[in-house]
Amino acid sequence: MAPRTDPADLTAVVVDDHPAVRAGVAYWLSAGVPPVTMVAEGEDVRVAWLGEGAEADVVVLDLNLGGPVPALGDLRRLVEAGRRVVVYSMRADDGIALQCLDLGALSYLTKAESASHLVEAVHAAAWDKPYTPPSLAGALAGDRSERRPTLSSRETEVLVEWFQSESKEFVAHRLGIAASTVNSHLERIRIKYAQTGREASTKAALVARAIQDGLIGVDDL
Amino acid sequence: MTEPTSGTRSYLFADQVFPVLRIILLAIVTLVQTVLCGVPLLANHDVYDPAWVADAAFVVLALVGAACAPWVLRGRPLPAAVALPGTAVSLLAAAAATWTVPPDLHFSEVDWSFGLVGWHLFLLLAERVAVLIAALCLHVVISLGLFVVPGPPDRGAVGSGMIFLVSIIAFQFAVVVVVWVLHRRAERVGELAAERDRLRTGQALAEQRRLDHRQRFAGQLGATLPLLAGMADGTLDLRAPGTLQRVTLAATQLRRLFAENDDVPDPLVHELSACVDVAERRGLDVSLGVSGETVPVPTAIRRELTGPVITALSLARSRAKVTLLRAADDVRVAVVADSGTIDSATSGSHGTVVAWYSHGQHTRMEARWRPEPIRLT
Repeated sequence: MAPRTDPADLTAVVVDDHPAVRAGVAYWLSAGVPPVTMVAEGEDVRVAWLGEGAEADVVVLDLNLGGPVPALGDLRRLVEAGRRVVVYSMRADDGIALQCLDLGALSYLTKAESASHLVEAVHAAAWDKPYTPPSLAGALAGDRSERRPTLSSRETEVLVEWFQSESKEFVAHRLGIAASTVNSHLERIRIKYAQTGREASTKAALVARAIQDGLIGVDDL
Repeated sequence: MTEPTSGTRSYLFADQVFPVLRIILLAIVTLVQTVLCGVPLLANHDVYDPAWVADAAFVVLALVGAACAPWVLRGRPLPAAVALPGTAVSLLAAAAATWTVPPDLHFSEVDWSFGLVGWHLFLLLAERVAVLIAALCLHVVISLGLFVVPGPPDRGAVGSGMIFLVSIIAFQFAVVVVVWVLHRRAERVGELAAERDRLRTGQALAEQRRLDHRQRFAGQLGATLPLLAGMADGTLDLRAPGTLQRVTLAATQLRRLFAENDDVPDPLVHELSACVDVAERRGLDVSLGVSGETVPVPTAIRRELTGPVITALSLARSRAKVTLLRAADDVRVAVVADSGTIDSATSGSHGTVVAWYSHGQHTRMEARWRPEPIRLT
C-alpha cells in the first residue's frame, strides 16, 4: 500500500468487539487535525478485508476480540498483506506490546491512554511512521529480552521520562533538548526495534521513511 | 549438654529410662552368672563332657557381659557392632555349654547356661526388640534341638524339662513384653515432645512476628499519633489546608503500612496501588503505569521508594501519574503531578536516590534504587 503524501481523505477501519468503543474511536478520529474518516467498523476482523475496509489507510485493531486469546494471528496476516496496523488493547502487558511491534504493528496503545495518543498514532501510521505512546515507552524501557537493540543512555532516558510524565514538553525541559528532538529520539528507537526480530513490510517501510526524512542515514543500517 | 531436639523421637526414655534398665540387666547378668550358674558349674564339674568346653563357654559369656560394661556404665546404648556379634557369640557359647550337659540332665540346674543366656540377650538387645525376640526364639529352638537330637528322652525327663523351660521362658518373655511396652511409650512420649517443641517454636515465631509488627507500626505511627491527639483535644484546625495535607499523608502512610503486611506476589506494585487508592478516594485523578518484570525489593527499600510517593501524592492538586519501571538492575518509582512549584532537591539513603524537579505547574518526583549503591549527581 503506497504511503500517504497528502493529509486529505485519511481513512481508517476500526475492529473492536464493543460498539461503544467503535463509536468513540470514530468520533475521536473525525475530530483530529487532519480528520480521519472511519470507512468501516465491526466486531470481526473481516471488515478490514472486505469492501471499503480493505482500502482504508490504517487498521485500528482491538487485540482481544471476544476472547481471552489475543488476535496475534489476525495482526500477522494484516501486516503480511502490507496493512498499517495500530493495536488498541485493554491489556497493559509489556510482553504482548513488544510481540505486536515484532509482528509489525506500527503502534500499541492501551485503552487507558487518552484520545490524543490514538489520533497521533493513526496519523503517524498513515505516513508509515511509528508512534510510541507512554505505556509502550515503558515496555521498551523495561525490555530485558536478549534481542533488544542497544539504546544510547540518552535514548533510554527519553523513553523513561516520556513513560513517567506523558508530556514531551516536560521531557524536553528536563533533558534540556527541543520537543522535536524528543520525537526524533523516540522514532529512532523504533527504527532500531524495526531492524530486529522478524521481517515485515511495515517495518521496512518505516525504515525507508526514516531515511527519506533524514532521521537516519543509509550508513546507520 | 545440648537440649534434646524434636528430631530425636524417643529422647526421654532413651536418655533416662534405658540407661537404668541396662544397668539393672548388667547387674542381673553378673549376679545370675556368678551365683546361679557359677555354683552349679563348680559343684557338678565332672558331669560336663568335656568340662573344658563348659568352662570356656562360662568364660566367654562372662567376657560378653564385661564387653558390654563400658557402654552400659556410661549410659550409652550398645552399638550394633558390639550387640550383634555379642548375640551370636552368646548363642554359640550357650549351645556349646548345653552340648556338654548329659542328655538326661537337660533343662535342669546342671544346664546352667539356658537361663543365663536369656539375660545376656536382654542386655545386648534392649534397644532392638524384634532382634531380641528372634534371638530368644532361636536360643529355645537350639536348646530343644540339643535336648531331642541325642535320642528320645524319657517321659519323666520331658516333664521336668518342660517345667524348667516354661518357668524360665515365660518369665523372660514377660520381660520382653515390658521392654516392648517401654519402647512404645518412648516413641509416643517422643512424638508428644516433638509436637510440644513444634508448638513452642510456632509460639515463639508468632510472638516475634507480633513484636516486629508492633515495632514497625510504632515507628510508622509516629506522624499519626500527634495528629489524632491534636484532633481529639481540638487544638488542630481541621479546615486549614496544612492540617488536611497532614491527615492525607497519615492516611496514605497507614494504608501503605497495611498493604506491607499482605502476602502478595508483587509487594511493590501492591503498596503503590494502596497509595494510589487513597489518593483517588481524595478525589485525585491518578493513573498507575507499571513496566518491566518483577524484581525482589527488600521491605526497607520498598519503604524508601513508596515514602516519597506518598508525599508527592499528598502535594498533588488534581492529577497525578504514578509509574514503576523495573529494568535489569534498576527500579524507578516516579510521580508526576500538578503540585505547583517545589524546590528541586536530591537526597538518598540505603542505596536509593530521591530527586524532585519542578517545571511550570508540574512536579516530578523519582525514587530510584539499584542493588549496587549509586552515586549522587
